[in-house]
Amino acid sequence: MTVVEETPLSGAGHAPPPPADAVVRPAPPRPRRIGGVTRTGVLSLCGAAASGICVTVLLFGQLAPFSGALGFTVTAYLVFLAVYAVLTGLDEDAQAVRDKVMTVVLWTAATLLFSGLVMVVGFTAWRGREALPHGNFFTQDMQAAGPLDPLTHGGIAHAMLGTLTMITIALVITVPLGLACAVYLNQIPGRFSRFVRTIVEAMTALPSIVAGLMVYATWILGLGMQKSGLAAGFAISVMMLPIVIRASDVVLRLVPGNLTEAAEALGAPRWRTVWHVVLPTARSGLATAVILGTARGIGETSPVLLTAGFTAALNADATSGPMVSLPLAVFNFVKSPEPTMIARGFGAAAVLMALVLVLFVIARVIGGRGPGHRTKRQARRGARASRADVRRFEELRAPGLSLFENPGEPLPGKDAPTAPATGETD
Amino acid sequence: MLTPRRLDAARGLGDRLFRLQLTATGITVLAVMAGVGLFLLLRAGQALRARGLSFLTTAAWQPDVHNFGIAAVLTGTVLIAFVAVVISVPLAVGTALFISDIAPRGLRRTLVTLVDLMAAVPSVVYGLWGLFFLQQHVIGLSRWLSEWLGWIPLFRVDGTQPGEPLASESVFTASTFVAGIVVALMVAPIQCSVMREVFSQAPAGEREGAYALGATRWGMIRSVVLPYGKGGIIGGTMLGLGRALGETIAVYLIISPVFAIQWHVLQTGSNSVSSLIALHYGDASDFGMSALMAAGLALFLLTLAVNFTASSVVARSRSGAQSEA
Amino acid sequence: MRSHLHTALGRLRALGTLGALLGVIAGLLAGPLAAPAAAESYTPISGAGSTWAENAVDEWRRAVNQYGMRISYAGTGSSDGRRQFLSGTVDFAVSDIPFQTHPTDGSAAERPASGSYAYMPIVAGGTVFMYHLTVNGKRVTNLRLSGDVVTKIFTGAVKTWDDPVIKADNPGLQLPHRTIVPVVRSDGSGSTAQFTMWMANQHKSLWQAYCDKVGRSGACGQTSYYPTVSGMIAQSGDLGVAGYVAQNYGEGAIGYVNYSYALNAHYPVAKVLNHAGYYTEPTPQNVAVSLLKARINNDRNSADYLTQKLDGVYNDSDRRNYPLSSYSYMILPLKVQGTFTQAKGKTLGAFSYYFMCQGQQQAPSLGYSPLPINLVKAGFDQIRRIPGVQAQNINIRGCNNPTFSGDGHNKLADTAPYPAACDKKGAPPCTTGSGGAKTGTGSGGSGSTGGTGGGSTTGGSTGGTSGGGSTGGSSAGGTAAGGGTGGGSEPVVDPDTGQTLSPGSGAGGSGSGSTGGGGTGGGSGTAGDTIALAQPVSVAGGQGWTSTQTLMLIAAFLVLGLVLLPSLVSRAITGRGAGKSSGEGQRR
Repeated sequence: MTVVEETPLSGAGHAPPPPADAVVRPAPPRPRRIGGVTRTGVLSLCGAAASGICVTVLLFGQLAPFSGALGFTVTAYLVFLAVYAVLTGLDEDAQAVRDKVMTVVLWTAATLLFSGLVMVVGFTAWRGREALPHGNFFTQDMQAAGPLDPLTHGGIAHAMLGTLTMITIALVITVPLGLACAVYLNQIPGRFSRFVRTIVEAMTALPSIVAGLMVYATWILGLGMQKSGLAAGFAISVMMLPIVIRASDVVLRLVPGNLTEAAEALGAPRWRTVWHVVLPTARSGLATAVILGTARGIGETSPVLLTAGFTAALNADATSGPMVSLPLAVFNFVKSPEPTMIARGFGAAAVLMALVLVLFVIARVIGGRGPGHRTKRQARRGARASRADVRRFEELRAPGLSLFENPGEPLPGKDAPTAPATGETD
Repeated sequence: MLTPRRLDAARGLGDRLFRLQLTATGITVLAVMAGVGLFLLLRAGQALRARGLSFLTTAAWQPDVHNFGIAAVLTGTVLIAFVAVVISVPLAVGTALFISDIAPRGLRRTLVTLVDLMAAVPSVVYGLWGLFFLQQHVIGLSRWLSEWLGWIPLFRVDGTQPGEPLASESVFTASTFVAGIVVALMVAPIQCSVMREVFSQAPAGEREGAYALGATRWGMIRSVVLPYGKGGIIGGTMLGLGRALGETIAVYLIISPVFAIQWHVLQTGSNSVSSLIALHYGDASDFGMSALMAAGLALFLLTLAVNFTASSVVARSRSGAQSEA
Repeated sequence: MRSHLHTALGRLRALGTLGALLGVIAGLLAGPLAAPAAAESYTPISGAGSTWAENAVDEWRRAVNQYGMRISYAGTGSSDGRRQFLSGTVDFAVSDIPFQTHPTDGSAAERPASGSYAYMPIVAGGTVFMYHLTVNGKRVTNLRLSGDVVTKIFTGAVKTWDDPVIKADNPGLQLPHRTIVPVVRSDGSGSTAQFTMWMANQHKSLWQAYCDKVGRSGACGQTSYYPTVSGMIAQSGDLGVAGYVAQNYGEGAIGYVNYSYALNAHYPVAKVLNHAGYYTEPTPQNVAVSLLKARINNDRNSADYLTQKLDGVYNDSDRRNYPLSSYSYMILPLKVQGTFTQAKGKTLGAFSYYFMCQGQQQAPSLGYSPLPINLVKAGFDQIRRIPGVQAQNINIRGCNNPTFSGDGHNKLADTAPYPAACDKKGAPPCTTGSGGAKTGTGSGGSGSTGGTGGGSTTGGSTGGTSGGGSTGGSSAGGTAAGGGTGGGSEPVVDPDTGQTLSPGSGAGGSGSGSTGGGGTGGGSGTAGDTIALAQPVSVAGGQGWTSTQTLMLIAAFLVLGLVLLPSLVSRAITGRGAGKSSGEGQRR
């Protein structure tokens, strides 16, 4: 096995070649460096970048009538890669060259993707800057504002309220139903539950517009109901339900079996096991599942488009009259050629993104821990309960009158002296 | 994994009620889900019976004279998803590898969060970006592609001669390509997040082993991470494909619907099943609604096939054996 | 037990927090805002339909907000509006055409229950051809098209802007060899129906040939769904069409929308040739004149009471006629049906009274034409038929409708100005703009009047550019008077192409125009400058793989070789001289 010696860090300059006899010594087997930054590496990277840009400038400016920023970038990048490969090739063997080049390529892929995504979000936020500073944008609806009105009139309060109403309806439907169904899939195994699981998994593939179409065809056309926030809530529910069930199912499956077994061994009936062991253990995961489903539901336009109708007015009644949600408002605003309407659309999109971001942060704060992990607060609560139990047992063992004290309800004041105070103020 | 022991001891009343209630929920969910599917099938049936197999081969969409089919819209859907996947998968694989193996350790958590967050950004935001930013900036690229790669039928654009200075820019707008790029950016975070999850589970022992045998980092990635994560790559790709197929609003905002099979991805005019539904749900007659349902059903079946393929591939792969994706 | 309770409670709390939060926010939002609306006695109503009339309906909707009426209107296309009315999901619909009980395009017949609906014209207007065309960096604003050319454009028979038939309509206007991109409606639309009805009526053979070519099965007459071919752009809603044409990549595009959208977008519209031989645009006055010839169904017992027959409009020989003028209709419910109730009838009635009377005043400023007195009166009668309406006895004189006069004549039509001589077929085109771009275009060499419709993006005067080499671009705009006089004597020559744009006489006439235009030109000097600086068309585009490309590639390799070869060669030399490890040492 040959190990190519790394360039020593000290002499990366143009030192004159040392005498031949000084160099002819057996290269000590040093481990290959994996990753990390070396000065040679940085220098050759910079050199390659500089030469790449220079060559491209030369090509574009002097030699060839190329044009376009894109062409420049692509050419510069390719030249850079080639020069970098040659530069590292001066020092290292083929494997290492491939490694270096691929590292650069992977960096590029990640940079590209992230810059693309940042551009999407940043562009929306940037274009939304015109509408967002106006306070009325958050407090008014569009009822009194026409397409030609400046941004000081009208706002998206109706859409914000609509989004919140619809998602609340959807959550009221999906959370109990979804969690219970996930528990069912986990706790009552059998042929039927496997069937249900298959169907649910199949329904995650249901395109959201088809969910909207379903509700439109059944609820609105079939039953003659109005287009309303309720209908939109149903459509979002149909879309969200499989997502929530599937995500919760996965989380519940991760609950360690020994916890359930311990509960059952203590003689707890199944429902107690589920209620007191399984669900609390998986709590953070379940919350994450619900919140991520919510984020998905909030951002959906197509089911709402088909079922909610469109209005410029604030409508707090979900059961009657059209109601818009933020994505639908965005969709409608940007269809207008008017710059102010487009600015409103971007503003609404920025608000929508902020909403999703907030939900996401909540999900990260609650979730992000595996089942069985507890927050500090939970740990404190648990510790307090254990201490209470310990005291209760002590009091039970203690002779006499202490039996008649209420053992289950130790007062916090009495608690303090026995336990090291760990801030039990919650 | 440990599974709880089955206990068949006599259950109390509470337990029986509990089971009953859970089963009831299961049945409710099943009823809702199956109801949706069955209703879709039922309503679509009318149109499907009327058209038979020509439903698959007709490009026009005139349900009221019984001249309609999904040849154009389904081709459009698949092409958009195809463009999206072609663009997104290299980016997603690269980024996932970058996050799992190359990124500085301090950066990793941030990047993971960022990718997950991006996966939650509403599609209408991507649509806005595509409509107001990408569409006008991508014209140069489209033109270049069509000039140099126009000999490939997929990249040909009718109505322009190469190098014509007055060539209309609008032949490059509202195309499959533009929609595909937007959908690609939309699904790339989803794919990336699945792939990263799998890559990061590649056994540490094998990684160390590869290093111990003198592999470079890329050598290790190629010999350990990629083979291990193959299932994840395929699964993530399929998952993204499923999302790309069903995407409505971003596509609807960008494309200009044509009811003819449009293979030229750079040329204006495209179509997708979901944007067809969004376009025509309102003015459809009873039979037209049935036709839309049939189109929706076709899309659903396609997505379903993609999803099931994905899950079976993931389940069969090494990485999928222990993960629950 | 307590610990269990704690955990259970905690779990509930965490899951409930989100819902509670959302609820609280919703409550906070709803509280103060919903209160005033709830205090009013009008039940909110919702409608859907035409995007053609949407600008007017939106304006009215906004205006009645002050009376506490909450009207929701969704511009989803006439077909969608009628369909929704039939399925009872909206309270009223707005449609440019009546229910299609016997459609000619093979779509399903709409079968409204007789006696459950009534038509009421709400506003008149013109379907215009909004276009986006620049010549040498300045926007053309005075394009003229005759009917068959329009038909040919929208049926794909005329493919480029420099087609002889377009040139024939626009003598003197230098048109580029650019592809025409027709932008049509993708959804079911009343605009499409009006437009195709006009084509099927006036240019039957062209339209029929196109229909056959596209392969529309069934007879192809009037249709709400435009049959598209490759090369066309289809967008949903008038907004979508106008929006596409107005994009900067919409160069070469032309689409049909209501006049108001072109005004709002500040874009020009093509003047269309009428049967009197004049090119006109649908100003409110012209529309009023044209619709005098519309045959209104006056049979009160007919289901189609008040609907229009437009053949007379198409064939009118008045010089001011705009052939594509029409009325848009509201479809009123006459029965409690679907979501419609008596209480809603009250709102709908009050709303209808408003827009049939006061609302008509705003129509001209929006780009529509107000209704004539006979239709307003008939409309009042229709409003009385709405269930739950609170009938009002409106003094029709108080409406301030610009069409009303003492003797029952249509005042707007009577006072409508006749088109200028330059609008006559064969005459050199007028230099004033059209539609939302009232400023002149580059062909006439005059400082034109500023116009009303904004158009500041195109700048005030374009006199300079076409003012020939003598005045040049620099003096243009800023000193419009100078440009005008400069151009007065000489024939106007386009600075880029050297093509004569207009004869000297035309420019002479414009010299006087420049006094009027001087104000605008001077006011927007910068804009004038941008216009004047016509961007040279770069002809040096890539022509595929030619020798240039080969040379470029060779050059690229040469450069790379120049950069890399010396070091590689030196390395090779030292490597040969000192052995393998010497190369290693060299790196130090």
